Amino acid sequence: MSGLYGSLSVALSALLTSQQALETSANNVANANTPGFTRQRPVLVPGDPVVLGRLSFGTGVVLQKLQSLRDPILELRLNQETQGEGKLDSMLSALQQIQVNFSGTDSGIGDAISKFFDSLQQLSTDPTNPSLRQGVLTAAGNLATAFNTTAKNLQSQRGNLDLNVVQTVGDINTLTAQIANVNQQIENLENVHEDASAFLDKRGTLIRQLSSLIDVSVIQTEHGITLTTSSGTPLVAESRSFALSTLTGGGGMHSVFSGTTDITGSISAGKLGGLLSMRDTQIPALQDNLDQLASGLATALNTAHRAGFDLNGNAGGDLFVPPPAGGAGAAGALAVAITDTSLLAASSDGTPGSNGNLATLSAVHDQAVAGGQKPLDFYSHIVFQVGSDTANTSADLDASQLILQQLEDQRSSISGVSLDEEAANMIRYQTAYQAAARVITTVNQMLDDVVNLGRY
Amino acid sequence: MRVNPNPVSDLLAALNRSRQDTQDALLQLSSGRRVNQPSDDPAAAALLIDNRDRTTFTARYQQSLTSLQGQFQTADSTLNSVVLALQRALTLGIQGGNGTLSDQDRASIVSELQGIQDQLLSLANTTFQGRYLFAGTQTNTLPFVLDNTQPSGVRYDGNDAVNTVQIGDGYRLASNKPGSQIFSAPGHDAFLAMTGLIQSLQANTGVDTAVGTLRDAFDYVSGQRVFYGNSMNQAQAQSTYLGSAQLQLSSQENTLGGADVEAAASRLVNSQNATNATLAAIGRISQLSLFDYLQ
Repeated sequence: MSGLYGSLSVALSALLTSQQALETSANNVANANTPGFTRQRPVLVPGDPVVLGRLSFGTGVVLQKLQSLRDPILELRLNQETQGEGKLDSMLSALQQIQVNFSGTDSGIGDAISKFFDSLQQLSTDPTNPSLRQGVLTAAGNLATAFNTTAKNLQSQRGNLDLNVVQTVGDINTLTAQIANVNQQIENLENVHEDASAFLDKRGTLIRQLSSLIDVSVIQTEHGITLTTSSGTPLVAESRSFALSTLTGGGGMHSVFSGTTDITGSISAGKLGGLLSMRDTQIPALQDNLDQLASGLATALNTAHRAGFDLNGNAGGDLFVPPPAGGAGAAGALAVAITDTSLLAASSDGTPGSNGNLATLSAVHDQAVAGGQKPLDFYSHIVFQVGSDTANTSADLDASQLILQQLEDQRSSISGVSLDEEAANMIRYQTAYQAAARVITTVNQMLDDVVNLGRY
Repeated sequence: MRVNPNPVSDLLAALNRSRQDTQDALLQLSSGRRVNQPSDDPAAAALLIDNRDRTTFTARYQQSLTSLQGQFQTADSTLNSVVLALQRALTLGIQGGNGTLSDQDRASIVSELQGIQDQLLSLANTTFQGRYLFAGTQTNTLPFVLDNTQPSGVRYDGNDAVNTVQIGDGYRLASNKPGSQIFSAPGHDAFLAMTGLIQSLQANTGVDTAVGTLRDAFDYVSGQRVFYGNSMNQAQAQSTYLGSAQLQLSSQENTLGGADVEAAASRLVNSQNATNATLAAIGRISQLSLFDYLQ
């Protein structure tokens, strides 16, 4: 087909595709700030030519498809990095709350230990003085309180983390259900060969959100995608989702279940991984250290105290309530055993004025009481550990966020909408439309000429 | 290569970082401390605990020394009075040994000597802040009591124990000397010598020997003052040492945890500049659009 009518139809195809292309640009511009949106590009191809004898004529332009510009590998890396970032972020916020307990040099356990031994030194200059004897008991009480408070804070922090675990599992279930739903929609559209781009973007965003909560592996299957945790627990299989559940387990803490399988120990990343790592590993290790210190210190001081004599010349008893066997819970339970200042065993020979046993008690300051270390050295080590864990996690989080930012930049450089680009494209499509319209005007005039031929 | 068309999120992250920097610098400047929490410098935070412990103890040693010095001074001045009293007794004894004295003269000497003996007893029972200074560690018990069954007429109810007080790491100073080693040491018993002198003057025989015995006791008690003199010297020297140790600890603490004010101030300026620059960049970028140039 050629001739004037042919030209008319070619121009018409140009008008149509220019409109469609402009619509694509308009959609890109409209979604310039939509998170997870992937820009689309019209793919224009020439119409199949018509062959007339030795000549072949073009038949105009066809909008073949709208191409979404996305890089699946980049999406995978973004998901992986998001899992790491989610874990570090939840750990850092827990660590920052923990280290508050170990921040003060004028307060806290370290200071209470120093002040207790200081009170012994003070009493040694005047061992029968009732107010100085009371000073020792008060300092011992403060020491016990410092341990109690820190132990209580750590335990309540574990409780908060546990609450957060339950909430996060709920969030995960909401997301996996949404992803399964979107999978179904994508499958429906693809079955009839329709463009599912908007749903792909939506699913990508949901998987990103899920990645910040738990470790996710994405497996592409024939009919969609399957999501599992990195240890293989299924989360979503095509259009079905598998909800996780929580059950109260040992120590009043919730365990995470998939069906009847306890997967608490295998969740390695995401916010949930970070929460579980803090709740089940880091804080218990810290509690164990504090218990060791409280138990070792109380036992050594009790031994020293029993070696002496009180103001009445009787052999000394326990200064602290003996810590539980094995030490578990010692920090939380630490308490002074005596309230009567005359029962303080300062004397080494039974005479009231002797201060000999105060030296024995003071010597505990330099004795290995926990982990082969002196009390304050052991405590300093705990502070160092908490500080360096927090500092390292903070540095790791910064690094992870920088990597994420770079990946986001890369993603945006491929998929992000550039308004300049769209503006330029719009001009191109507008010009093409104007030109095609011009062709139609020209053909119209020529047809006019043909119709009026010989009218004179 | 196509660049990221939306750099605003990068700029916002940068803005967040420079604001965080500003906050850190401000915290350092306002608290005067570089290490406000363990993560600021874990090693320094751990060392600061040890530093604080040493500082506490150094201050305590100083206070213990002050308390000991008060005790030593009281004991020393007490012994000074004892020495003066014994000196007077010696003078009286030598007078009494003069054979030309009448019975009446000797009787008045004896009477004065008995007064001195009472004074000695009272001095030996001196207290410091309610504690008997010369009772060993029986500080709640009157150490020297009149007892006619004893040859010296005085019984010692204290003990021979000595308290030591820590005044430095591994440095302990004896805080007392038992009265039994000052007033009633075997062979140098001041009470026994006084009683002997009084008895020999009353019998008017062996006065010279009794004076000789009293001289021994006098020399011995004078010698005991050296203990307190030495202790006071040691306390003084240790106090000076502790003063310099305190300075060193406080300078160490400042090095470990104190804010470097100049560095923090320049960080503050830098981070504020960075904040301003980032804000300006965000402002400029949002103005740049091809749409603005197309009419």
